[in-house]
Amino acid sequence: MTRGKIIDLFIDNTAKAAAEPVRISSSDELNGVLARILAGSDLIFCPFVTEQEKAIKLSPDKLTRDYTAASACVEEVFAAVAETGSLVWTSQGGKPVQAGLVCTHHVAMVSEESIHETLDDFFSSLGDSPPTNITLETGPSRTGDIEMTLTIGVHGPSRLTVIVF
Amino acid sequence: MSDPVTGVPFRANAIRALSDSALRAAMRNATETFATKRAETVSAVPLEEWRDQASDLRLRVLDHLSDYVDLFERNATRAGAKVHRTEGAKEAREIIASILRGHGIAKVVKSKSMISEEIHLNDFLQKQGVKVVETDFGEYIIQIAGEGPSHIIAPAIHKDRRQVGKLFAEKLGCEYSDDPMVLAAIAKKILRKEFFSAKAGISGANFAIADSGSIVLVTNEGNGRMCTSIPPVHIAVLSIEKIVPSLSDLPKFIRLLPRSATGQILSSYMSVITGTRKPGESTGAEEMHVVLLDNGRSEIVKGEYREMLKCIRCGACLNACPVYRLVGGHAYDSTYPGPMGIVLTALLDGMERAHPLLDATTLCGACGDVCPVKVPLPRLLHSLREQRVEKGFTSRLEQMGMAGFGMVAQSSSLFNLGQAAAHLLWPIARKIGPKDSLDRIPRPVSKTFRKIVS
Repeated sequence: MTRGKIIDLFIDNTAKAAAEPVRISSSDELNGVLARILAGSDLIFCPFVTEQEKAIKLSPDKLTRDYTAASACVEEVFAAVAETGSLVWTSQGGKPVQAGLVCTHHVAMVSEESIHETLDDFFSSLGDSPPTNITLETGPSRTGDIEMTLTIGVHGPSRLTVIVF
Repeated sequence: MSDPVTGVPFRANAIRALSDSALRAAMRNATETFATKRAETVSAVPLEEWRDQASDLRLRVLDHLSDYVDLFERNATRAGAKVHRTEGAKEAREIIASILRGHGIAKVVKSKSMISEEIHLNDFLQKQGVKVVETDFGEYIIQIAGEGPSHIIAPAIHKDRRQVGKLFAEKLGCEYSDDPMVLAAIAKKILRKEFFSAKAGISGANFAIADSGSIVLVTNEGNGRMCTSIPPVHIAVLSIEKIVPSLSDLPKFIRLLPRSATGQILSSYMSVITGTRKPGESTGAEEMHVVLLDNGRSEIVKGEYREMLKCIRCGACLNACPVYRLVGGHAYDSTYPGPMGIVLTALLDGMERAHPLLDATTLCGACGDVCPVKVPLPRLLHSLREQRVEKGFTSRLEQMGMAGFGMVAQSSSLFNLGQAAAHLLWPIARKIGPKDSLDRIPRPVSKTFRKIVS
């Protein structure tokens, strides 16, 4: 599969899983898109661990270092999987993986190069000493426990935005 | 049929379930929705190839089960987990209680786990004074209601929204609502506080990875992630057959489990947890215990029912079973309901308790057709039925009837005589016999099929 097709497949599958994909053509566009997406959030957490995270500009009065207090969490993925439309987060580099779970709006930044075509491609890349926590996130938190009625945001985010750049 | 007092009262339970119209509607809705969604997601994939691969891998693990358990233990220990190998349910419960006692922990948050149901963990811990908070929304509902799960992946599916609304209003003191969104928000608010105040989380595991010592958890709500990443102590309890050789084998199962269970390509969250938090990390429990439970598996793997241990607990056989669809999970009065539940109950609890459950199958084969890892459920059920007879768990009347029929069917003159007698005696039988059941039996005719063709 060509890189272009892998990216298209990933975007299709994130949408099928009820995430909101946004594609931008360069990382320069990123701050504008983030400002628009996060306009309604009062407190935002960003781990500022990766280069991309360090490069984003968010209004300082909206930033918090306490992810439990944040309504939105913005971070760059460790990897992504096209086959399932999944985002991959890990504890590597000191990131709190749970930050993207306790907020109500999770915003994922995905570089085109980080997208693996299949689950096999991703899991084969890990070796036998993986980071303590690897989490695949595919769409928002959901349950069907009452009458099979789809209910979004039961413990985790009710909204998941995926920005592909 | 007269069940010895020790057997599951399946017939009485089934009769009660069949006359409960709310339950019938809920079960129909749930099982049909699950089955339809499953059929949609598997139609576009090479399912047979995937099933063969997954089945082969499960068999490979079962062929060398004790080696894989040793390997998993070594690698989990290397990653910082403390592994406790336990023989039976009692030992597992006591180890978990002693870990909690050692830390002075009086409250745990718990992610849905069928193995914890199998060992009756919640009751035990609560009797020891530990508050156990189930955090899966469905499990939370039935915990408040004081009930057990009726489906292995959708535990509260026997309840409708009005019943849940009333339950919440009564037990939680909130305003009545029958809107699932409102009810989920109420639970979220309560449970969020529990996650951050509990000092230990208990989870099961969907899979365990021998090569890396990891455990794998799949949830849609995120409660599994909360339980395993927020409290400082994490206790994972799992039975030994959950092991998969390596992380690179995981996709083969991850493709099948959500598709077979809920008809999703992948569940919302999947966590691969490898030991405790390492230096420089901000995620992971500070202390991780893995309670590896045998509970009969080492014996089962040696016998003719070993393939039951391939099961990945997706629930597809429940949704496909014409009996489960009608009576729901509680009628089985066992940890595991449905076709897989009948076999597991017979293996774990013994024939003395499980034998009435062997009436809960039509041997139609639907369970075997949908099983993602090719557990030969119809064959296992059939074989258990034979065992039921051999071990004398059928009523005297049934035994005599079958022996009589066997004798008659082996002799053409007796058989002809029997057919003639049935035709002649039918009007009398109708008068004196149980009317309703005889009405459903085809009427014996004078000109039988054999007479027509011979």
